[in-house]
Formats: sequence, structure tokens, C-alpha cells
Amino acid sequence: MNEIKVENISFSYTDGQPILSNIDAHFRQKSTAIIGQNGAGKTTFVKLLKGLLKPVAGNIYVNGMNTKEHTVAQLARQIGLIFQNPNDQIFKHTVIEEVMFGPKNIGQSTEEARQNGLLALEKMGIVHEADKNPYDLSLSDRKLVSIASILAMKPPIIIFDEPTMGQDYLGKERLKKIMKDLRAEGVLVLSIIHDMDFVAETFERTIVMNQGKIVLDGPTREVFSHEQLIRDVYLELPHATQLGKQLGLKQTFLTVDELINFNRKKQG
Amino acid sequence: MTLYVKQDSLIHEMDPITKVIYALVAALLPYILPSYTVSLTVLVISIILLLVGKVFRKIIPLIGLSLFLIISLVIIQGIFRPDNVTPLFHFGPIIFYKEGLSYGLLLMMRVINLLCAFGVLILTTKPDDLIQSFIQKGMSPRIGYVIGSVLQLIPQMSATIATIKDAQRSRGLETDGSLLVRVKAFLPLIGPVIMNSLISTRERSIALEVRGFNTKQKKTFLHEVHTYKYAKVIQAVLILIFIFAILWRIFL
Amino acid sequence: MKKIIVENLKYKYPETDKLALNDVSFEVEEGEVIGIVGQNSSGKSSLCLALTGLIPHFFNGAYGGKVLIDGFEVKTSTITDLSQKVGLVFDNPFTQMTASKYTVYDEIAFGLENMGVSREEMIERVDWSLKMMGIENIKDKNPFDLSGGQMQRVAIASVIAMRPGILVLDEPTSQLDPQASEEVFQVIQQLSQEGITIVIAEQKMEKLASFADRILLLYEGKQIDFDTPEKVFSRDDLHNYGVVPPIFTTYCKAMGMKNKKTNTYPVTLAEVSSLMGGENNE
Repeated sequence: MNEIKVENISFSYTDGQPILSNIDAHFRQKSTAIIGQNGAGKTTFVKLLKGLLKPVAGNIYVNGMNTKEHTVAQLARQIGLIFQNPNDQIFKHTVIEEVMFGPKNIGQSTEEARQNGLLALEKMGIVHEADKNPYDLSLSDRKLVSIASILAMKPPIIIFDEPTMGQDYLGKERLKKIMKDLRAEGVLVLSIIHDMDFVAETFERTIVMNQGKIVLDGPTREVFSHEQLIRDVYLELPHATQLGKQLGLKQTFLTVDELINFNRKKQG
Repeated sequence: MTLYVKQDSLIHEMDPITKVIYALVAALLPYILPSYTVSLTVLVISIILLLVGKVFRKIIPLIGLSLFLIISLVIIQGIFRPDNVTPLFHFGPIIFYKEGLSYGLLLMMRVINLLCAFGVLILTTKPDDLIQSFIQKGMSPRIGYVIGSVLQLIPQMSATIATIKDAQRSRGLETDGSLLVRVKAFLPLIGPVIMNSLISTRERSIALEVRGFNTKQKKTFLHEVHTYKYAKVIQAVLILIFIFAILWRIFL
Repeated sequence: MKKIIVENLKYKYPETDKLALNDVSFEVEEGEVIGIVGQNSSGKSSLCLALTGLIPHFFNGAYGGKVLIDGFEVKTSTITDLSQKVGLVFDNPFTQMTASKYTVYDEIAFGLENMGVSREEMIERVDWSLKMMGIENIKDKNPFDLSGGQMQRVAIASVIAMRPGILVLDEPTSQLDPQASEEVFQVIQQLSQEGITIVIAEQKMEKLASFADRILLLYEGKQIDFDTPEKVFSRDDLHNYGVVPPIFTTYCKAMGMKNKKTNTYPVTLAEVSSLMGGENNE
């Protein structure tokens, strides 16, 4: 069972300006979205989980490893983080070499890395671009390369940072499928994300952050039932939820399909 | 990040070109006339100007940074200068000579003088005012833009470099440790830095294009860079001093 | 006179085989809001660049057809001439800051300095821009100390200070959080009310449907449709082009809730309510 235990952590870069205060969380199994306005502390939180930052107070245990006691590279076998901007990591001349970089670093043989790399590229739908220069691809395809480069490392825990940014409908559907497949394989999936519709359609659990604290944490449906609180932290409800409310329905709907099925049952 | 300190002073009111000429003359004079008197005089004048400009306090950390260099200059000259003859004092087995220390002190004064002279310029002048003055004197606005933007973009780059380092460490790259480790980490770190810069530069040049950057039109300026009343006089005096110093050196 | 006329526009980037734009033709009236939708690589960005003259003058490549802005042909005008008629805002707030200015005020004046505008007029225009974008309170801040949303508003302010009659925006909210996106959309609507013609490429269909007058649907560089949001989003074949309509439309299509007068489905929440209200009244 993959799990992350966050025990009463606080973090600040300088004294007197806390960025995160007294955060407790326990991640196991359920795919989790982390939402909140820019500046709420989401990126800092995720960096702490990944070990890029160490908590000033409290502890974080990633599959039993205390992040304070290990380097980022050591933790990389357990937990992968897919950064927002693919241009911040791509440096190889071909897509496949880029995707093999991470796996080779954590000890996979060249053959293993190649196999895992090609598999990951296939999952992202871009295996036909394997021999191309990543910079000859569009930005959204490059983003898929950066995701593949972490998938190929086969970490049991994966954190995405704004995976849907710049993606079109088909790209988002592909991402949804990948996240659901990962979840089915037992991978613990976390993501920072702004797209509320995507959150509602994909994640079982949602954490809402505001000003360095967690203000809501629970099943996605329950979180989006707190309409006022969501607005108070400058977020919006998913469009399907808004529609459900407009139709006068009491339940919180997460997807348009749910709404359609509900009303069809009522009619039929 | 600029070194400019906003204050209300006579020096701040002076126009950038005058200050540039001062900085050049004050920095070069001790080289043209290598005597203690000259160096000390110029240094005292620069310090007075810094005090008038209320920025003296800021020059001290800058001198502090170069203190290591300065002191090592003095020590090395004091011990190893070829024409050292007269020993001044001993430090264990090491002998410090009068000639060397004397020369070292001169070098030290030149360095401090250089810092103070340019300090008068840099600490009291807004970078964009300085660049604007050069453009008004005929420098290409494009070069002015490059200099101006680089001053802000380089500090911004450090944030990008930190992110790139994080991203690669997250993929299992070790970045600290033996020389071999660091050499291996070089390409994965420098590659994205270069690509990012190229891509940002390209996007930025598109943004500049649609804001008329490549126009043949003559530029106007939002801010007036005030020219001090006696700027011409001061500039003339400084240039005369400089020419006089050169002549003194050649003929005496 | 039509504000924008695009006639059989074709374009291919240098050293590529495929046409990025393949025979696009449409006309825009002054004051309209046109939304451009399509999957990634459908030509949305290329079309935005073609409206400003960056295609062909900055990117070169193979160019065919005509684009007329206020009657002036793009092919024979310079980017600088066009920058006074058409403003461009794109998705990355950071790279739209010149980096050579230390305050938001100076940043907005940058384009005006280039154009040789007089100081009095510069001050007037910058003040107007600040007010329009609601950023007077940050006018003395360094552009790099701002949030992404604030930076994007400064970028828009910098462009509208040049008083173009047309504003082209290429996915301006894709890197912003929900609140910042909302602020940018509000500002765009305000600009539209001032009479500025807006062309905006977007993925957020629900938002676009609520204020676009017409939608241009692109696929692989080709123009598939150009009509009101209701007509375009009511199409049955949108998924063939990699596009989904607003969620409200998807719902209404599934429930058979059509506006019988126009033979289209609702595209906004408000339209859904009024349709249901109307039905209840019948």
C-alpha cells in the first residue's frame, strides 16, 4: 500500500513569514486533487512531499522514508513529480533518450529503461515521436513527453503539477485515462490542478488549500457541496455542479453524465 | 536587482552623463599620475560625493566584498615584489618589505578608488535613466533595451535555474558531491537553461514587435532626465583635468 | 467597412510540409467578439499571428490569400503599422514583460515611447489603460513582482495603450488560476463594450459561449464553421474536430432540450434557465 504521511508540518523560507502552518494529511490509495488559488501554498506543499524542501517542523514519510533523512535522488524511486513546464527538464536530442534519462538514473538497465520508456510513450499516445527532437514537437506534446519520462521510472507515487494546462479536449481525455489506469495499478496519484471540471471527473479526493492551510479535505463530491467556502477561497464549482444547482437539484453532481442519467431515470 | 538607492540629494539630481565622465576620470587619474597624493585626493572627493549623495553606507559592503582581494594584493606585493630590498617587519619566517608594501598600498588605493568612483555613478543613478541618456546621445535604442533588460532578466534566471535543478534532481540526478558527479550533472542542467532562454527570448521578441520595437520612428520618452544647470561646465572641467593629467605625465 | 477581412488565407511555416492555415475566409464587423475554437495544432495560434502581421513578416514561410485590417492589407503593411491597429496578447504573462522597465507605469508606456507619442498623450493613455484594467493600485510595482494574473493584465494594458481597434488574444487565461482567468474575461468584456473588436482563441468553451458573438471552428488549418455560438455548438459532429461544446449544451442535447425557435441548443447556464422557464410557462 503506497502512502504518504504528513505529520503536523510547517514551512517558511524566512522566520516570521510562514508559508505552510500545521498541515496534517494522510494519503493512501485514493487519487487526490490539490486545489486553491495561486499563492495558497500548493506548490510548496508538493515540493515538501517530494523532498525538494524539508519541513521546518513536523515530518513527512513517503512509503516509510522520512524526507528529512534522504536526498531527493534517493526518494525519486518512490515518488515522481511531473513539473509544470516541460522546458525545465528536457535536454536530450530525442524523445526516447529523454524518457530513458530518469529510469537510468534510478538504476534501470539501458534495456529496461528503453522498454519502460516506449511503454510510457505509448500510454501517452506519442510513441511514433520517439526518435524526434523534443523541441520539434508542439508544447502540449512536449508536456506529454515530460509525463512519460516520469511514468517510465515507474514510481509507486506520482504527483502532477498542472497537467491540464495548455491541453485540449483530447489531451485531457488521455490524461484522465492515464490517471485512472495508474490508480487501477495501485499507484498513488496526486495533482495540483486548476481545472475544476477535470478534478470532478477524475479525482476521488480533493484537498482545498488557502493561505498555507488546508481548509477542506474529503471526497470530491463532498468538497464541492460546500459552495460558499469554495467561492470564499476564490475558486469556482465545476460546471456540471453549477448546472445541477441551477436545475434546482439538491445533490452535488460531478459530471454531466451523472446529471443526464439522473434526469433520465426521473423521466423514465 | 539594481544597486540604485533612491535618495534626495544633489548627486541624484545630476545628470547621468556627467556622473559617467566623473567616474571614468576619477578611476583613471590614479593610473595616469601614480602618486599617493593624487589617489588620496580623488578618493576623498569620491567619498565626499558619496556622503552628499547619502549613499556612503552602501559602498562599505561593496568594499568589504573586495577586501579579500585587496588584502591579498597587499600581502603578495609585500612579500614577493621583485625589487623588495628593505625589510619592514617579520611574521614568523616571512619577511614583509617596505617597497612591496608601499606598492601594495598604492594598488589598494586604486581599487578602493575605482569602487568609490563608480559607486558615485551606480548608487545614485537609475539604470533606465542612464540608458535613456545614452540613447538620447545617439546610442541605438535596441542596444539600450538589451542592456536594460539583461539587468533584470539575469536575476530572474536564477529562479528558473533553481526549478531546473529541482526537476532534474527529481528524476534521480545527483548534483552535489564529487567532481565526476558535478560534471555529469552539467549537461542536464545547462541544456534546459539554454533552451528556456532561447524560447523566452523568442516569445519576448514577438511581444516587443507588436509594441513597435522595430519602428524607424524617433523615440519619445516618458520621463525627462533632468540636465543639471552646470552640467556642461562640470563636464568641461573634468575633461580638462583629465587632459592636464595626461600632459603632466607625458612631459614631466 | 468590415473591420477584418480574411480571404482564402493559406500559410505554411518555413521547413514544414503541412499547411498551418488552409483556405480560411471570414469577415468581422467592428465591435464584434469572435471566439476561435479547435484542438491543439488546428491553426488557432497561426490565425492570431496572421491577424497581426507576424505571419508573414516575422515568421516568413509560404503565404497565400489576403488579410485586410481596416482596409489595409497585412502582406504589404509593416508589423509596426499594424501594431497601432491590432494588439496581440498571448498565454505567457512573463515573456510579455519587456524586462527593461522597473514599474508597471513605465512598462505600459514602452510601446508609446517607441511610437513617438508626445509625453502628455502618453500620460493620458497610460492612465486610461490602468483604469480600464483596474490596475491603478499596482502602477508603481515592478512587473516581475506581480502574480501571473496581474502580469497578464499589465500585458493587456500595455497593448491597449497603443489604442488598437482590434485586440487579438491567444489563450490568454491558460496559465492563470480560476480567479485570475475570471478577471481577464471581465476585462475583455469591458473592452468590448468600449467598442474594441475582440478575437480570442480559447479552450474554456463555457466562458467563450457567454460573450462571443460568433465562433470560428478550425480543424487542421481548415475552417469548418463560422456562426453564432448556439449554431456552432449545436452541431452533432464537434467530436470529429476534437472539440466539445459547453457542458450545458451537452446536457441539453442529451435531454432533447432545444430552443424550437432557433433550432439550437442553449450554450450558457442563463440560456438553460430561460429555456426551462419558457417551457414552464407554456
